[in-house]
Amino acid sequence: MSQHDDAHDHDQTPVHWHKHLRVVAALLLMAGLTAALVDFRELMPVRAGHWLASVQVVPALLALLSGALVPALILAGLLLATLVAGRIYCSVLCPLGILQDVVSRLARLFRQRRKPLPFAREQAWLRHGFVWGSVLAALAGWGTFALTLLDPYSNYGRFASTLFRPVLTWTNNQVVGLTEALGWTSVYRVDLPLPGLGALLFPAALLTLIVVLAALRGRLWCNTVCPVGTVLGWISKHAAFRIGIDSSSCTRCAQCIRSCKAQCIDLRAGQVDFSRCVACYNCVSVCDERGIGYKWSWGRRTGKGNTLAGTGNPATAGHAGGTTRITPAKTTGALTGNDSTSTGPRNPERRKLLRDSAHGLIAGSGLALLAREVRAQGSGTGTAEPTADAYPAEAPSPSTSSTVPGSQSAASTTTPPASPASAQAQPAPARPASLGVTPPGSRSVPRFLARCTACQLCVSACPKHVLQPALFEYGLKGFMKPRLDFTASFCDYDCRACAEACPDGAIDLLPIEEKQLEQIGLARFYEDRCIVKVKGTDCAACSEHCPTKAVETIPFGVNLRLPQVNESLCIGCGACQFACPVLPEKAIIVTGLQQHGLAVRTQEKPSAPAPKAPTGDFPF
Amino acid sequence: MNTRRSFLKTGLALGASAAVLPSLAQAVAVEQPSPAANAAAKDATKEKSVLVAVREGSRAAMLDKAMAELGGIGRFVKKGQLVVIKPNIGWNATPERGANTHPELVGAMVKLCRDAGAARVVVFDKTCDKWTDTYSRSGIEAAVKAAGGEMAPGNDESWYKDCEFPKGKILKSGKVHRLVLEADVFINMPVLKHHSGSLVTASMKNLMGVIWDRGFYHKASLHQCIADFVTFRAPDLNILDAYHPMFRHGPRGKTVEDVVEKRMLFASTDIVAIDAAGAKVLDREPTQVTHIGMAQELGLGVMDLSKVDIRRHSLA
Repeated sequence: MSQHDDAHDHDQTPVHWHKHLRVVAALLLMAGLTAALVDFRELMPVRAGHWLASVQVVPALLALLSGALVPALILAGLLLATLVAGRIYCSVLCPLGILQDVVSRLARLFRQRRKPLPFAREQAWLRHGFVWGSVLAALAGWGTFALTLLDPYSNYGRFASTLFRPVLTWTNNQVVGLTEALGWTSVYRVDLPLPGLGALLFPAALLTLIVVLAALRGRLWCNTVCPVGTVLGWISKHAAFRIGIDSSSCTRCAQCIRSCKAQCIDLRAGQVDFSRCVACYNCVSVCDERGIGYKWSWGRRTGKGNTLAGTGNPATAGHAGGTTRITPAKTTGALTGNDSTSTGPRNPERRKLLRDSAHGLIAGSGLALLAREVRAQGSGTGTAEPTADAYPAEAPSPSTSSTVPGSQSAASTTTPPASPASAQAQPAPARPASLGVTPPGSRSVPRFLARCTACQLCVSACPKHVLQPALFEYGLKGFMKPRLDFTASFCDYDCRACAEACPDGAIDLLPIEEKQLEQIGLARFYEDRCIVKVKGTDCAACSEHCPTKAVETIPFGVNLRLPQVNESLCIGCGACQFACPVLPEKAIIVTGLQQHGLAVRTQEKPSAPAPKAPTGDFPF
Repeated sequence: MNTRRSFLKTGLALGASAAVLPSLAQAVAVEQPSPAANAAAKDATKEKSVLVAVREGSRAAMLDKAMAELGGIGRFVKKGQLVVIKPNIGWNATPERGANTHPELVGAMVKLCRDAGAARVVVFDKTCDKWTDTYSRSGIEAAVKAAGGEMAPGNDESWYKDCEFPKGKILKSGKVHRLVLEADVFINMPVLKHHSGSLVTASMKNLMGVIWDRGFYHKASLHQCIADFVTFRAPDLNILDAYHPMFRHGPRGKTVEDVVEKRMLFASTDIVAIDAAGAKVLDREPTQVTHIGMAQELGLGVMDLSKVDIRRHSLA
């Protein structure tokens, strides 16, 4: 390089801070969110994971639609940021995007000799097709299902929780032998029940696909499949600050193209497709000539392309309406791939206006349809609205005992003395059952399915590991959404970690006293399988574990105690089913409720007046 | 002749490999109780059993009184020994609920052992709720650590070793927590509670927490298995926390209303006698609690309290 060039370089130092800031912020967010999702030791505060997930577009949208206020502010902030500076969400907040950046960065290390990714035309039909598809799904009431499959945050959640977390736990358990020998008690084995193979396959296949795509084609996923990326692209196209090429400075060295993950820099045309730019600032940081940069471009209708305006280049400055094309029209015409008429528009401005309106219409109608879907299943985050039959009349009585009659005589003779005369009352009306059991705070299965995107944050937060991704227990709509698996564990009475974690508004964070009354399912006792009856020996593992004492034992046979279920007290936590030693079919089984109910709140009276004076002598 | 020789050869080879791989051999070998371990239980049947019953004091004060009456902690714990304490830490519940042994009592016992020169005092239970939460919420983890003891995992199967219980009637074998096998001194510190299955849970029932497969107890015969285990390893000392026993909704309990303040503590080397006393406190006859009678039948102690040397103390 000549002296002149050196001096020029000194003058034109590349702008690095955008990129540095982006990398640091992205890695911090990624680390935090991943920590929350793989945390098999509950070391990370659940609320920290919740907030990191709450700044994600789709969770914020769903939480907003279910009536929360904070997500509205978050969403407004995200949209505003996009309108100001482009798809910052995609570069800094989206964990799936950051994952792809990491993969493509690593891939680049291994193929330095290979030629860089060239500019690629937008796959407009495919790209818009996924948004269209999602809207059509919402029209059919399957909007949340579509989002569940496509939301980048939820997909990353599944990778981290369903795939990375078991691997990490396994590694931990391999290390424990060593740490125990060293006397470190802070490392211990963790039993992590694995979800079914089917629940592993979907995230595993998608992870493979995304990693391969990222290694080969950078952010192709984000600019082809991801509906969040597409919709944000519609907005970023109009951003106040956009990346553009300054043809007067640009030496066409192609360093920017080499660094671009989105294949959106068209050097030949001197344009950047900012709708596909993921705001990574790699190009800006590698350009020695300031030929590409971030510039105020508000109001400039540049369609897909964008050039760096206001740099005094007479070729770009004088165009009407602020369009800043410096290349022949036919090149740019080819660029606007989704414009089907290749002959070129008579009035390009009007066409663009029409197109933007169409985008707005699609986004708006999708939103409205999704809102309908989410809100159809009960209003926002208020108190429970269980069906009338969920409220048993008054104080608990064993009248609603749900013993499956095996021996009628045994049932009648063993009625405890405390039971009122109404013991002959008819059984409670049947309530629609659900094969899958949804977490307490989710209120009903349909409401839960309309709001949950199966990000698995609650599954990772659940200290009891009772939450597992469903296969088809809820039907196809509930694929990968958490369910309580009572063969793995049971729900802790004093815990509401899942509700603390949920960023979607799918699980309400109820006061603990209310959570402890929400009936997510009901226990049913199958007397003829019970060990006490079959073997004539005491057991009571079920009632031992019951936190509400919906399962108590009553005198039976000669000095034995037989379990009995009082449905009005049962909350469906599954402790009884988990503890029951009878195999293969348990003698007490919890069935999920489509509409959650409310258990009766009991007023506990002291077992005996507390003695103030010395208690007297020993009873022997 | 030939077969006997090959049999001997095989035996020698096995022995040699066992010597080469001591860790493997340890893992494979079936553990037997040390002769000293059951000394306390045998004493109990030969001489008159001693039951110390203290009331109307703080937990720590009652423990001090009971230990003094039994001849001091030095009778049980010698310098440099490994002491293992098994409280009841079954449920993720706060101390006032009475679902677990009170942390103050466990802490006081750890301190006594440390002061007596114990090299290590290790505390564990196989909890029903998540063990890490339960250790901390019960207050026991903090109390033990503050007193100079350690907590060990009880819900990790790798800590359990295969054992045989030749004297058991139904429970013939099972996996026992290795700390119980390694302990020089094994102290049982249950809390007194109502139990919906076994009617009363006290000292013998508490030992279900040192066995891996509790499901077998429930499936085979709860009471007989509870008694059978004691034939394998009777604790060297039992301290029964009856400060505020749980009178109903046991063993988990529902609210603080389930406990009744009695301000009592029992100590004995006779596990049957101490459980009989516990049953009485819960207004039950020892004969109603099936495993107490079964244990007496196995020669593990005396359930008839009139035949027990009861040493009563009131600190009021």
